[in-house]
Amino acid sequence: MKAFAYVNATSEKDAVAALKFDGIALPLAGGQDLLARMKDYIDTPERVVNVKNALDRTAAPTSGGGWRIGASMKIVDLLEHADIGKMYPAIIAAATDIGTPQIRHQATVGGNLNQRPRCWYFRNEEFVCYKKGGSRCFAVNGENQYHAIFGNDGPSHIVHPSSLAVPFVAYGATFRVIGSKGEREVAAAEYFTMPTLQNVLKENVLDDDELLTHVMLPAPGNVKTGHYEVRYKASHDWPLAFTTVVLAMNGGIVQSGRVVLGAVAPVPWRSKPAEDALAGKPLNEATAAAAAEAAVSEAKPMSGNAYKVQIARTAVKRAILNAAGIKTV
Amino acid sequence: MSEQNTGRGRGAAPQPPPPIPTPDPKYAWPAKPALLGTAVKRIDGPDKVTGRARYTYDINRPGMIYGRMVRSPYPHAKIVSIDLAAAEKAPGVRAVLAWKEPGAEVVYQGDPVAAVAADTEERARDAAQMVRVRYEPLPHVSTEAQALAADAPKWHSTQENTRAGVRQETGDLEAGFKEAAHVVEATYSTHVITHVCLETHGAVCEWDGDQLTAWVTTQGVHQCAQQFAQSLGIPQSNVRVITQYMGGGFGSKFAPDVQGLICARLAKLANAPVKLMLDRKEEHLDTGNRPSAFAQIRAGVTNDGKLTAFDGRSWGTGGAGANANFPLPYLYQFPNRRRVHTDVYINAGQQRAMRAPGHPQGCFLTEILMDELADRVKIDPVEFRIKNAPPKAPNQMWVEYFQQGARQFGWEKRHPTGDPAPGPIKAGMGVSAHLWGGGGRGTQAHVDISSDGAVVVRCGTQDLGTGTRTLVTIVAAETLGLPTSAVKAEIGDTNYPFSPGSGGSTTAASVSPAIRITSIKALDALFARVAPVLGTAPENVVAEGGRIHVKGDPTKGLAWKDACKHLGTEPISVDGQWGEGLSSSGTSGVQFAEVTVDIETGVVRIKRILAMQDCGLIVDKLTAESQVYGGIIAAINFALFEDRLLDRVTGQMVNPNMEWYLLAGMSDIPTIDIVLNNMPERGVIGIGEPPTVSTASAIANAVRNATGATIRSLPLHPHKVLAALEQQKAGGTQ
Repeated sequence: MKAFAYVNATSEKDAVAALKFDGIALPLAGGQDLLARMKDYIDTPERVVNVKNALDRTAAPTSGGGWRIGASMKIVDLLEHADIGKMYPAIIAAATDIGTPQIRHQATVGGNLNQRPRCWYFRNEEFVCYKKGGSRCFAVNGENQYHAIFGNDGPSHIVHPSSLAVPFVAYGATFRVIGSKGEREVAAAEYFTMPTLQNVLKENVLDDDELLTHVMLPAPGNVKTGHYEVRYKASHDWPLAFTTVVLAMNGGIVQSGRVVLGAVAPVPWRSKPAEDALAGKPLNEATAAAAAEAAVSEAKPMSGNAYKVQIARTAVKRAILNAAGIKTV
Repeated sequence: MSEQNTGRGRGAAPQPPPPIPTPDPKYAWPAKPALLGTAVKRIDGPDKVTGRARYTYDINRPGMIYGRMVRSPYPHAKIVSIDLAAAEKAPGVRAVLAWKEPGAEVVYQGDPVAAVAADTEERARDAAQMVRVRYEPLPHVSTEAQALAADAPKWHSTQENTRAGVRQETGDLEAGFKEAAHVVEATYSTHVITHVCLETHGAVCEWDGDQLTAWVTTQGVHQCAQQFAQSLGIPQSNVRVITQYMGGGFGSKFAPDVQGLICARLAKLANAPVKLMLDRKEEHLDTGNRPSAFAQIRAGVTNDGKLTAFDGRSWGTGGAGANANFPLPYLYQFPNRRRVHTDVYINAGQQRAMRAPGHPQGCFLTEILMDELADRVKIDPVEFRIKNAPPKAPNQMWVEYFQQGARQFGWEKRHPTGDPAPGPIKAGMGVSAHLWGGGGRGTQAHVDISSDGAVVVRCGTQDLGTGTRTLVTIVAAETLGLPTSAVKAEIGDTNYPFSPGSGGSTTAASVSPAIRITSIKALDALFARVAPVLGTAPENVVAEGGRIHVKGDPTKGLAWKDACKHLGTEPISVDGQWGEGLSSSGTSGVQFAEVTVDIETGVVRIKRILAMQDCGLIVDKLTAESQVYGGIIAAINFALFEDRLLDRVTGQMVNPNMEWYLLAGMSDIPTIDIVLNNMPERGVIGIGEPPTVSTASAIANAVRNATGATIRSLPLHPHKVLAALEQQKAGGTQ
């Protein structure tokens, strides 16, 4: 680990000021991602800014009937929050199996959303890939069993690692962002960015001196939600694929819905075809199967991950059945 | 580890055990033991869970600095130059050395090139990054298929990619196939996994003049001392190796290795104690692995289920220049058989002995085939195995274990291949069998009894985490008629009497007799001094229940402490060694597994495992069971999760960590039931390796029973399960 300067920011303003730095400054919260990257020489910041004490770590109701979650809130506190659990069950379902109990006690909501890819090429210093300023994605001709099956136009083929991003997009959340130029709000669905040659070094819209401070969740309204994760290992593993569905209901009929898949694309992957397949349909097994089929119709797997298409299909189907209250397995 | 105690290659044709010599009756194991075979908790358990136990990682010496190695990032390259200047000038650096010379060839990612020592671990790591090595990358081979390709580059500039291995032929193959009503022909394989010792390899080395003290995480303190002496050019009497506690070795920790020798050299150069522990990545790359195994097999069976012929062409890789043999066919009796093996070399870290070397591979390749053959002749897999198992012998108890285990497991509820239940979750059961050799001899020991009654047993064996310290304590306490709390066992130090390295499941059988015999010698000496006080001859005295008393009359005696008072200023101090008749070799076992498979995701979950196992005379029921639990859990990882993945293009490992190198967590471990068959008449036999052999095969057979789809390779990753189900749907597999 390269020597670095440490700044302990105690307010949003201080944090932003400390991040505005002529050199590499990176924010530190729970440390579950950044410290590992530094120890492995993936990142060598000259300045580390502790933002954990600068950012809100609580959740509060909003005037519109929704909730506002501070970026410094720990995963374990989110899990144990009675009201959020009742109103947004898919968030709790997604948080339940993040990492391990130790990680959930240390990791923050903001950290989960902003963590860098878990791609094994990115995480090993030998591989100088696009995301480290190189000029190729090693996954294309290499070991890509855990890489993307959607949004595979490149240049990078990572899957976005955040578990919470998927339900946040599905619930239509907005992220509050502060920076040296002021404050802005970004829809969760717009926050995460598909890779291009210009922005491949990042996975979201944040500038170097910007911080995500809050997640604003709208009142869910009359919805049914479902969440399903397919995991290879039952403990401490990244899901192979997972899905959150949030369905606005009109009696037994789906009026409209959001279907968002995780671990399958460089961003939380909102499936328009699946949403279209659900609209106006009764919530039952046939609808679930049709929507799942629609979801994977736009999959473009790589050389070694076609099996993930079947897994994604199952995750979509079971998330919908889960929303319908139909037992899946 | 010597070849003979690895058990390597023994599986092809099980042999009845050698007769057990009758021990000197004076040393025989007690007919009615007080402690042997009971459930004794680990003596050092509280020290381990409270952190008082000091592993090599925990050793800190005054003035100690930290070592760090520089390794090749390339799987194959020529070293053009090594420039140490920048590292020498880096902050806190105390010593720098080149391990290889310019012009040398590196043949795997992680091949050691140079090393540094600095006053903190972080500075050592930073300085290591400043060693400038220029490489000329050379073409490499990273998979067996790449190495075997017609125009393959060579793994080493002067060596071939293959080497002819064993070639065995018995009986009349042609006649065997003629006799067969059914023939199964397929290719089976297992993958490379690494040892993943929780405590990584490494050492702390400290010089006092030309005397070296080395705390090493090792399975053989004496072997380590010998190799330090040899490599450093100093007499072995100048080397002391200490291993008080150890976080796993599994066959990969018998020598100081390069990192141990570098640690000693850095300590000499810096004139300070040096700690050099590898990190997880180095551990995966350069401290050994279980070789892969492939076999193209043709096998025949008669209509009534008798095996007739086996023809196997096998290969596998142990990495850069290391062989990859394994027994084949495994255990079952094929009267006519041929096996031709080829070792394949690739640019990857070398294999080392790993818990039952060769057996898990040979077992998997054979046991999946066995279920395919059983289905061809429509015979239940247990019955089919009984028909073809070697005859019963003390070390060949399979038939009994199949029968008894099937009853206990509820095998009668097993459905034929393919769970007919509706829904995506399919359940299935599988079975598999294994054998192991073991044995062991050569241990020496020392027992002191002080006039205050204190007992110290010293033995230069080491505890890998298997419970050797507890075993030494139990055997001494049993023999001296004392509670375990009255005996202090001191092990893990070359200052104590010689004991061999702990490999091949030989430690219990090597150590237990030595402790028994030495303790009896100590008792003899004690009786000679105490008998006159009791007014009788020494041969009429016994030690039991914490007392020394006249045989048959417990009232005529003294409490242990009071008896020892008579030692006065001349305590007992005796040496002894291993003797015949108290231990033997040869074990057998059978395991059953029940799994569920989600056929819409390919995910396998293990529900329960039943292990039937013997290990001769059980010394401690708890540590023996613990070996079985550990072996089975390791094998679950082999079956489902672990996989050393080398990037097929660059030859570099993509998962040298514990994030993507998957290991079971608590929720992945099923219910494990163990039936230990205590066979005191056979003496002590080790149990470290056998329980890990057949678990993966039983699991794979259970997956086949659940889904009806045959997966002929490990690990049972969802992608393989889904592919096998696809192929089955297309009518591709039987």
